[in-house]
Amino acid sequence: MNRNIIIAFILIAAGIAVFFNASKDVSTYANFGQASHGDKVKIVGQLAKDKPMQYDPQNNPNEFSFFMKDTDGVEKKVILHQPKPQDFEMSEQIVVTGKLENDVFNASEILMKCPSKYKDEEIAIKSQENQQ
Amino acid sequence: MNDTIYVGEHLWIGQAGHFFIVLSFVTALLSSISYFIDVQKKSNDTGWSQLGRNAFYVHGFSLIAFMSLIFYAMYNQYYEYSYVFDHVSPDLPLKYILSAFWEGQEGSFMLWMFWHVVLGILLIRSAGKFESATVFVIALADVILMSMILGIHIPWGDDAFRIGSNPTTLLRQINDAPIFANADYLTLIKGRGMNPLLQNYWMTIHPPTLFLGFASTIVPFAYAFAGLWKNEHKEWLNKALPWSLFSAAILGTGILMGSLWAYVALSFGGYWAWDPVENASLVPWITLVAGIHVHLISRNTGYAKRSVYFFYLISFVLILYSTFLTRSGILGDTSAHAFTEMGLEWQLIILVLTFLLLGAGLFAFRYNSIDQPKTEEALASREFWMFIGSLVLLFSSVLITSSTSLPVFNKIMTYYNPAYEGRVIKDVIGHYNKYQLWIAVFVAALSGISIFLRYSGTNWNFQKKKFAVRIMIALCMAAVLTYLTSFWLQFYSWQYIVMSFAGFFGIVTQIDYVINTAKGNLKLVWSATAHLGFGIMMLGMLASGLNQKAISTNPFVFKNMFSEEDVKKYVQLIKNKPLLSEGYLITYKSDTLIGRERRYDINFKKLDAQNQIVEDMTLHPNAVYSNDFSKVAAFNPDTKHYLTKDIFSCVVSLPPALSNVEEAQKIEDSLKFQTYLLPLNDTIHAGNFIIRCDSVTYQPTHPEYIKHSHDAGLSAHLSVTDAESDTVYRVETSLGMEGALLYNYPVAIEEAGIRMKLSESVAEDFITPDEGLEYKDFTIKPGAKVQVDGYDILLTGFDKNPQNPNYSREDKDIALAANMEIIHKNQKENVAPIYIIRDKQPMSIKSFAPKSGFHIRFSNIDPASETFTFRIARDKRMLKNLSLSMATDVPRTDYLILQATVFPGINLFWGGSILMMLGLFMAGWQRYTSLRK
Repeated sequence: MNRNIIIAFILIAAGIAVFFNASKDVSTYANFGQASHGDKVKIVGQLAKDKPMQYDPQNNPNEFSFFMKDTDGVEKKVILHQPKPQDFEMSEQIVVTGKLENDVFNASEILMKCPSKYKDEEIAIKSQENQQ
Repeated sequence: MNDTIYVGEHLWIGQAGHFFIVLSFVTALLSSISYFIDVQKKSNDTGWSQLGRNAFYVHGFSLIAFMSLIFYAMYNQYYEYSYVFDHVSPDLPLKYILSAFWEGQEGSFMLWMFWHVVLGILLIRSAGKFESATVFVIALADVILMSMILGIHIPWGDDAFRIGSNPTTLLRQINDAPIFANADYLTLIKGRGMNPLLQNYWMTIHPPTLFLGFASTIVPFAYAFAGLWKNEHKEWLNKALPWSLFSAAILGTGILMGSLWAYVALSFGGYWAWDPVENASLVPWITLVAGIHVHLISRNTGYAKRSVYFFYLISFVLILYSTFLTRSGILGDTSAHAFTEMGLEWQLIILVLTFLLLGAGLFAFRYNSIDQPKTEEALASREFWMFIGSLVLLFSSVLITSSTSLPVFNKIMTYYNPAYEGRVIKDVIGHYNKYQLWIAVFVAALSGISIFLRYSGTNWNFQKKKFAVRIMIALCMAAVLTYLTSFWLQFYSWQYIVMSFAGFFGIVTQIDYVINTAKGNLKLVWSATAHLGFGIMMLGMLASGLNQKAISTNPFVFKNMFSEEDVKKYVQLIKNKPLLSEGYLITYKSDTLIGRERRYDINFKKLDAQNQIVEDMTLHPNAVYSNDFSKVAAFNPDTKHYLTKDIFSCVVSLPPALSNVEEAQKIEDSLKFQTYLLPLNDTIHAGNFIIRCDSVTYQPTHPEYIKHSHDAGLSAHLSVTDAESDTVYRVETSLGMEGALLYNYPVAIEEAGIRMKLSESVAEDFITPDEGLEYKDFTIKPGAKVQVDGYDILLTGFDKNPQNPNYSREDKDIALAANMEIIHKNQKENVAPIYIIRDKQPMSIKSFAPKSGFHIRFSNIDPASETFTFRIARDKRMLKNLSLSMATDVPRTDYLILQATVFPGINLFWGGSILMMLGLFMAGWQRYTSLRK
């Protein structure tokens, strides 16, 4: 019995240690205002469709720039250090991971949310109807 | 609703389907109730168990009948059914029809229940006294799973409360589109079809395996449940062990297939990404493996029975929880590949809670009556360290589950506090790797230590010296091997050195065990095989995960301020322009469109220090277009496998004109074509370019032109000088005619951003039809000449083997070409009309001299007088200027963005995991056969 208690104690201690350690891996989605401290953050927002997008693979295939509006409506230029993602223009919501430097957000990762399947279905039926 | 009477629908499938679905649901319910009563009753009456059994058979039969109906509708493309519409299309190859069946949520639920039925029947035949209690569990699970596809609407206030989504729902019942105003709408629609990403053989084999794995975890649960229910804690342990081993093996195989699929066929660029969907199926496997270990302890020593119950119960509950995570839509944007939502969140929660509460409740109720040995296990016993190992696995599964459940936590918090901001993991892969690395280290170390210990610590005093020696030798060998490995792999930090050390320790100890202890005794070999596999797998992860290297980095790209390693793994390749990168000469050779697939030929040449080619291979990654061809739906990688490494390549991006129809149209519309009149053999200036028409020919060699057959055609051969770069491009642009149709074959100079094509008027200007010509006969002797319109036409000789693109020789042909010269003011033009006798019929092939405008036919040979007759006409119209349209600043389309990665030692990962699964399978088989004896 004694030994089991020791083992349980070790496990719980390890669990607590990992929990506190891991809580540093977790953060909320930030906005551009919060990103000004220069930390690596995740920002949710939308593509500013009226602003220019730039991708010039001949110069640098690892750089794609666009403007993004965060949830507070603040707009900033984002440089994604990756090729331009597929169907980027169609995205409803974007999550970028990176750092804000000199008023430009340098993103190393991007996640896009595209219109749901059900909308597609409507379109599919409508477009088929147009064909007749 | 409207009263339209629709034409061509096959409503009997829906009606029969509805009957079978309700029958299957009701009989599952009846089966579970009967079995329940049978377990609870005191008498020896077998009526209830007989009823439960028969009800279960009917449940299985009607489920399979229902599945067959859906399958029949899919096979025959009855698009009136929304499930068929969503997953089948006319161009779907027949071999993917099974995949299409389980592509959707409903289909995969049915697949799962199908396996439950199979397992249930096996249990009815083998479980003996545990039949009623175990099959009860399966029947109950099927009741809830069946409700997911029941599709019943119960009016509930203003809304209808929906239970399940029935795959025989008609398309027109769930869509309110104007098309359904047509009675014959079926002739107007075609199915949306299967996601092109899933159209490969992995989708055929992975889901059935994984769902068999999912389904099989119910058997250990059911046996544990039965043991608790009947309060018998010994006998079921024997019966359940082969099942648990089988379940772990098949679930593990399913997971591995998924990761192999992700690696070889999807563009994920790796085999494990700690995606919630992957984690959700890995965690139950880990707890199941922990369960197997405590199961062995309790069979051999009687310890840890409560743990056996705990692990088997929790494994199945975790399977259900994983179903909830992946199917409820709660993962949102944290997962790359969850199912789409179906609106069944509450039913999924009920599924999880039912089995969680039943299991936990019964476990708590019986907890104190589960017998436990009075004394503690010995410190130097195998069971003690195996138990510690199981706790390590439990710890691992708690960590993974907690992190994966973050979206669930967020959802709950937002429920209580709508202003709550959801938490996300910043660096997902790093987060999991950091902790699971230590789990792997502990597991390898513990498996190495405990395999040399004996159950109950028998003869420890006698054994301990030998034990110490073997462990010491293993430690030393692991250290040496780790040191040697450092010449091959970069370890980067001390944690990875520890991981390598532990992996080698695991490998050395298991090999030692197989050679010196098991000595070929197969009974003892299988567990060592599985553990050996684990050690090898750890090294495989270190090699392929930590030491993977992007070879697609372009050293010439200007370095910007943001310099994170991982973002420099893509490179632009221009067609036929080799790029030297990380010792590889990479060339994008060509691409071919086959069906909906654009296949690329990308050549890799590995160069050594002396720039000698040491390796030369071509990979074929491709891009798959969506079913309607409007955009690229997926990029599929291609990988070259070597014994010691893999070279992985994937196209990640294409020029907009090739990847999206809308974009292509936009680019096409934005091009400004300007028309230039170009005198033959003269130059004009167009912006930065100097264009010269070198010649006009009537035998085009344009690569697109020669793919088709035409009545007539012409080509303009142009030289374009780019004044800026001082480069000259020589190109050919053609027109082809087929009856009244005119085909235009434009030409693009990608480097200069130019697109050129001939105006349609060129055809009229340069081609005169035969009917419009006035031919005259001329008889000429060899060496003689005639005069026509001031031109001298000289017959110089003959050629018995005429070469002419318009003439293809046939077997008994007699063919003769007349070599002629047309001379005018020191200008000479050569023509060679052909005279042919085929099947005793004379024929001729006309020759045309573009400069002078002569059309010459070789029309007769008179052998007696040795005279040759020609029909000659002259096109009197002056040859006009060439009308050419040209656009500049055209975006180039001859490039792609490539990711290429070397995965060293990835075969260690696959080999290790295959050994693990083999060990589990064979151990299960061996337990099964010994049980039958």
